[in-house]
Amino acid sequence: MKPFDYADEKIGQKEIGFALPSLVIGVSILSLPRVVADTTKFADGWVSVLIAGLLSLLFTWITATLVSRFPNQSFLDYSSKLISKPLALSLTLFMILYFVLFTAFEINYIAILTKQYLLDETPKEIISFVFLLLVIYAVAGSRAALFRLNILFLPIVVIVLLILLIGALSVFDPKHLFPLFKTNWMGYLKGVKGSFLAMTGWEILLIYSALIRPPVKAVKPAIIGMCVPIILYLLLYIVTIGVYSNIVTRNLVFPTVELAKEVEIPGGIFERAETLFFTVWIMTIFSTASIFYDVSVMTISSIFKKTKKAIIIFILAPIIYVISMLPKSFIEVTNFGHFISFMAYFAAFIIPALLLLIAKIRRIREDKEGMA
Amino acid sequence: MAFNKPRKRRKNSQKAEDKEDFSIKLNTNLDDNIENIKKLLDDPNDLVTRTFSIGHTKYTCAVAYIDGLTNTTLINQMIIRNVQAEVESPETKVSEAGAPLLDRLYNEWLSVGGVKKAYSLDDVSLAILSGNTVILVGGTDQVIIIDTQGGPERAVEEPTTERLIRGPKVGFTENIRTNTVFIRKRIRDANLRFQSYKIGRRSKKTLIVTYIDGIVHPNLISEVNKRLKTIDLDDAAESGFIEQWIEDSFLTPFPQLEHTERPDKVAQALTDGKVAILLEGTPFALIAPITFSNMLHSPEDYYERWLFSTLIRFLRYLAAFIAVFLPALYIALLSYHPGLIPYKLAFFIAASREGVPFTAAVEAFMMEITMELLREAGFRVPQPIGQTIGIVGGIVIGQAAVAAGIVSPIMVIIVAITAISSFSLPAYGLAISFRILRFGFMLAAAIFGLYGIILAYIVVNIHIVNLKSFGVPYSTPFAPSFKGGWKDIVIRAPLTTLGKRPGYMKPKDKKRMNKGGNTS
Repeated sequence: MKPFDYADEKIGQKEIGFALPSLVIGVSILSLPRVVADTTKFADGWVSVLIAGLLSLLFTWITATLVSRFPNQSFLDYSSKLISKPLALSLTLFMILYFVLFTAFEINYIAILTKQYLLDETPKEIISFVFLLLVIYAVAGSRAALFRLNILFLPIVVIVLLILLIGALSVFDPKHLFPLFKTNWMGYLKGVKGSFLAMTGWEILLIYSALIRPPVKAVKPAIIGMCVPIILYLLLYIVTIGVYSNIVTRNLVFPTVELAKEVEIPGGIFERAETLFFTVWIMTIFSTASIFYDVSVMTISSIFKKTKKAIIIFILAPIIYVISMLPKSFIEVTNFGHFISFMAYFAAFIIPALLLLIAKIRRIREDKEGMA
Repeated sequence: MAFNKPRKRRKNSQKAEDKEDFSIKLNTNLDDNIENIKKLLDDPNDLVTRTFSIGHTKYTCAVAYIDGLTNTTLINQMIIRNVQAEVESPETKVSEAGAPLLDRLYNEWLSVGGVKKAYSLDDVSLAILSGNTVILVGGTDQVIIIDTQGGPERAVEEPTTERLIRGPKVGFTENIRTNTVFIRKRIRDANLRFQSYKIGRRSKKTLIVTYIDGIVHPNLISEVNKRLKTIDLDDAAESGFIEQWIEDSFLTPFPQLEHTERPDKVAQALTDGKVAILLEGTPFALIAPITFSNMLHSPEDYYERWLFSTLIRFLRYLAAFIAVFLPALYIALLSYHPGLIPYKLAFFIAASREGVPFTAAVEAFMMEITMELLREAGFRVPQPIGQTIGIVGGIVIGQAAVAAGIVSPIMVIIVAITAISSFSLPAYGLAISFRILRFGFMLAAAIFGLYGIILAYIVVNIHIVNLKSFGVPYSTPFAPSFKGGWKDIVIRAPLTTLGKRPGYMKPKDKKRMNKGGNTS
């Protein structure tokens, strides 16, 4: 039957605006306050988060500007035009590796968190496996549906996080925040570095640009979309420090989830709000994992144009599963995270910036403005 | 989709194949024609054929109809009497037999509105079997078919499956003409369209697609028509056959067309830019396309004032949540996360479950299945002993099972609340899907606790965002959302602010009211 799509199937501005925060808000936010508090004093970490946020906005803008020069072209296509084809191909391969590793990271993390907060006896392998099946199911559907899913989930996640923050205000102690600005420069910089992993995500624009309609207008929703997690992170950081103080936050593995422990559900219907909070949080981890999986699939199919999507998905699945099972201890997972954030410097900062620079210098642009 | 591939159509080939002793063409001899009709139908005793003379002329004609399917008074008064008696006036000079005589009958003497000519035995037999009357005249191979459908039918009643406190008290009946009348009486727009089909190789029932031209998106109409044209089956006993044939996907618990007995609901859907499908022989009309949130709305939401309607909608979404999740949450909390339950309640539950030999999951499955059995039994038993089911269910199972220590009292409460919640959903089709989902969630909770529930919830969401009803994503207007769509999903904004038809229908005429009023 011919698809009957008068309710348009396209990735518009709204979808991009929702997809970015859904992607960015993932597992890293759960440990973000610890990472930042580690290198800063008192509540000074908010400066680091803000700087990291502003830098993220800058690079989101760079990435969105870059892709809006090349409407409806895959990453491989437009990077081949900017730098030679072999170089573009190796960049594409790098991106694929990065996305695959990120997916595996999320899938590994879900098992760690679920074991800690929900199911302490179920083996990690099974928890991850079920989750991966779910991600495959989502990616196997249409891409527009995946974006619709983000639109459904993001408000729930943001509202739950806001409720958490408001609920924690009852034990908020402003004394923990002061004195201000006692951290040295190195501390701030390390904090910035630490919070990047929680902020990266705009690099998917490099790939999804092929679908955005109209592509020229991708900049504004991307920026707005990125603002959502940045504002949430700032609020979260300040509230966490206010509740737990810097010293305690440093020593909590997942301060964000622990924060939920301080929340009392009115009426006492449930105890242990952190379990409920984490249960809802699975939704956003799922969004992150499925978008990264989908982006990997899309990047691979830009190389192997004739291979069916389903085949790529099923070849990728065991690879991701095996990679996600490799790190055994929590320390290994953290190192895995460091490795990914190292790759993210290339994927999210160097590659878009370099490509845009080359495009500017060589004056290559293929949107309407350039044509005219 | 495979099931919608055009199938080979067998064009009434049967009659041609085995050589019958009657001809399939009409011929000019009156007696032969009558004989042919009789042979075709094997001379049933409800077939009435009567030959009589036309007034005082020397010519004769004949009527043929099925007794009981027709309006006999109409036939006697307006057809036979007219032709026999009124033609006797002296100026009526009939000079020719055959076609001219038939024309005069057609033009002058038959005092009935619905009259048409036909030329083949196929048409004649279909007309007779549909309850129409055929007039045959010697000397021509044309016949006249007169619309005399009648026969027993149910009186118009209040729709039993969708009662409202406030709202019109009429429901559709099995008679398709009555049903179209109800729609016409509500929408007196010249652009209201009725497209009819004959459905069923054997049953040849009338199916009517109705919509308002100028509101509805043309692609929707062409898609509906395209799908309806693929229908080829012996008989569509109920509109459920049509629904299952033309739906987008059969691998889903969710209905993709809404069925309703309420004409006001259909009228409202039409003005929203949707399409309704009526089938002869069933009071259930189909509405397409629908979305998930449509199924949680009731026409009464718009009849009552907005504040009440909004609160009722909150209640309904809560009911939907309870109907799907409550038993699963019970299982998950008791088996995996007892720490989540407030400790006082936890003690109480532990005490009340003392001596219960089963795990929470087994207990919940037992009680839910019992509830399903009770519900099913309640529908099936004859009305007078329906009370018995209530007593057996309420007292014997509820009370005795607790007293015997098979289930805990809290489980009985959970089952009862779940059942009440699922009964309070306005759309039966959605309530059925929730019943299916509930067991899925219970299974997930039994295996993975809360993790299982949230994963199952994500699965359902993935399924819903991929599902479409005639091209409209099932998750609209949540996602993709449309400007102003939020005003009529969970809350029901004041009526005057709902000035636009739903955006996801892409209606050609977007505005449905003018807030400034008609001042001219």
